[in-house]
Amino acid sequence: MHRILSPRILLLRILAAALLLGLVMTACALVGTEHISLKAALAPADGAVAPNPDFEILVHVRIPRIILAAIVGAALAGAGVTFQAVLRNPLADPYILGISSGAGLGAMLAVISGVTWTLWGRSPIAVFAFAGALGTVWLVWMIGRVTGKFHVTGLLLAGVVVNACFSAVIMFLTSIARSQEVHATIFWLMGNMTEEDFFVLWAGAGAVTAGLVALYFISPQLNVISFGQADAQSMGIDVKKTQLVAFALSAFITAVAVSLSGLIGFVGLIVPHAVRLLLGPDHRQLLPLSSLLGAMFLVLADTIARVAIAPAQLPVGVITAMVGGPFFLVLLVRFNRKVYWLK
Amino acid sequence: MTAAIELNDVTFGYRPTEPVLRQVNVTVESGTFLAVAGPNGAGKSTLLNLLAGLHRPQSGTISIEGADVHSYHRQALARKLAIVRQEFVPAFGFSVTETVMMARTPYFGQLGFESQNDRRIVAEALDLTETTRFASRLLAELSGGERQRVFIARALAQETPILLLDEPTSFLDLKHQVGIYDLLRSIQRDKGTTIVAITHDINLAAQYCDLALLLRPCPGNAPGAAGKSRHYHIAPPSEVFTPKGIEEAFGVRVFSAPVGAVSVILPLGQMARDADRLGLHKDL
Repeated sequence: MHRILSPRILLLRILAAALLLGLVMTACALVGTEHISLKAALAPADGAVAPNPDFEILVHVRIPRIILAAIVGAALAGAGVTFQAVLRNPLADPYILGISSGAGLGAMLAVISGVTWTLWGRSPIAVFAFAGALGTVWLVWMIGRVTGKFHVTGLLLAGVVVNACFSAVIMFLTSIARSQEVHATIFWLMGNMTEEDFFVLWAGAGAVTAGLVALYFISPQLNVISFGQADAQSMGIDVKKTQLVAFALSAFITAVAVSLSGLIGFVGLIVPHAVRLLLGPDHRQLLPLSSLLGAMFLVLADTIARVAIAPAQLPVGVITAMVGGPFFLVLLVRFNRKVYWLK
Repeated sequence: MTAAIELNDVTFGYRPTEPVLRQVNVTVESGTFLAVAGPNGAGKSTLLNLLAGLHRPQSGTISIEGADVHSYHRQALARKLAIVRQEFVPAFGFSVTETVMMARTPYFGQLGFESQNDRRIVAEALDLTETTRFASRLLAELSGGERQRVFIARALAQETPILLLDEPTSFLDLKHQVGIYDLLRSIQRDKGTTIVAITHDINLAAQYCDLALLLRPCPGNAPGAAGKSRHYHIAPPSEVFTPKGIEEAFGVRVFSAPVGAVSVILPLGQMARDADRLGLHKDL
C-alpha cells in the first residue's frame, strides 16, 4: 500500500521546522541598524557598573519583537489553514469573515473616542481591536447560522457583507476625523510590529499555542470536511461541532494576532498554500508546519522591515505582500510545471 | 430476520405543502440489490438523503436494520450505511489512499492516526475495487471511472452492511459502466451487502439488480390526490421496467424488445429513425 503520513515522519518534520525557526530567529536577532554580536552581548558586564549595551538591545529590543513576529505569524498561518479547510475555499484567509474590518473599526473607535486607559499594559487600540474582531466573527456566525442549510455559502456572504459595511463605516469615520488620528489608525491597519513587554508576549504566545494545539486535534476531521459536509456526516464526523470549534479557535487566535500587531496581510493566505504545494493537503501536517513556517516568514519579513530603510521602519504588512506575493507566484508556477513533467 | 431498510408510510417535502415523496412503503431485505429510477425531480436523491438521516420525514418512519434512522448516533449510523455521491473532486489534492483512509477517521487514535487494523481495511478496499495500482496518485489525476472506484473503496472502508450510491455510472463510458455494476454485484455476492443505487440506465440496472423502485413525480396535495394510486412501483425489474411503466413515469414513448434475459427499453422521440414504429412521425 502507498505510504501515507506516519506519526514519525510528522514528528521529524515538525522538529526540523522548529529547529529552522530557532535558527532564523537567532540570526534575525543579530541583524539590525545597531551592530551587535552575540559574544559581546553574552559577556559579563564590567563589574556591574554600566549595563552591557549589546545585551540591552538584544534582550529588550530585538528578542521581544522577534518573538512577537513569530507568535503573530504562527497564529495567522494556522488560522488561514483552518478557514480554508472549513470554508472549502482556497481563497479564504484569517480575515475573510470580517475580522479585519471589525478590528479596524474597533481601532478607529479607540482613536476617535480618545480613551487613554490601558488594560494589562495594552493600549486601547489593541483592546478595542480584539473586541471588534471577536464581536464581528460572532455576528457573522449568527447571520450565517440563520441562513441554515448552505451554511458555508451563507457564512462567506455574511462575512463579505459585514466586511463591506464596516469598511464603509471606517471610511466615514476617516473622513470626519482629524488627520493626526487618521494617521495613527492607518499605520495600525497596515500591520506593525512594536517592542512589547514580556508579559504581553507570554500571554499572546500561550493563547496562540493553546489554540493551535487544540486545532491539531480536529485536523483529521478537517481532512474529511474538505470533501463536503454531507460526505463528512455520512462518514460519522460531527460536522457542526467541528465547524464551530474550528471557527471559534481560529477566530480567537486571529483576534489575538490582530490586537498584537494590526492587520498583516498575506501570511494567512500564502503560507498554507506554500506548505500544501510542497507537502500535500493533509491537515495533520499542514496545520503545525504552516504555523512554524508562518512564524519564520513573518520573523524574516519583520527583519527586512526593520533594516530596509533604516533608521526608519516600514510597516511589516508592506513587506509580507511585496515579498510574499512574487515568492508565492514562483512556487505556484514551479509546482505546476512539476506536475506537468510527471504526466 | 429484520429488513436492511424499511420505509413505513414515509411522506417528505422540502415545503410542507409540496410533498416530494408521499406515503412510501418500501422494504429492502438484507443482501438485496435495489435500483432506484425515475425522472428528474421525482425524489430519488431525496430518498437517499432520507435514508442517510440528513432529512427527517414529515410523517412515517425509516428503519435501518430494525431501528429508526434518527435513533442512531452519527457514528453508529456511519457503521450501518455508506454513501457514494455523484462525482466530486475536493478543493485540495488528496491522494487515493488518503481519500480512502478518511473513512476510518472516526476510529483514529488520540493523535489522529490510523491503526494497523485501519490500514488493513483500506488495503482490502483498494484491492477489491482494483484501485491499488494507482493508490499514490491524486484524485484530480484520475479518470471519471477510476475516481468512482475510489469513492466506492472509501465507502467499503466504512465496513457497512448497506451501500447507497447516487448515479454511480452517470459520467462513465460503456466499459466503465459495466465495470462499476460488476463491482457492485461482486460486493453484494461476496459480502452480502445491501445495495441501493440510483440510476438513469434502466437497461443496465435490469441486468444486475434484484429489485427495482420506479418513482414518478408526486402528484401533490390536490384534493383527492391522496386517494389516487401510489406514485411509485417496487417489484423485480422485469415487472417495473416495462414499456408502460416507463412511458407513464417519464412521459416518453419507448420501443422495447427482448434481448437475452431481459427486455431492452429504448426511448424514442419524434425525429428518431424508428419513430414510425411507434406511430410518432405522424405527429410532426
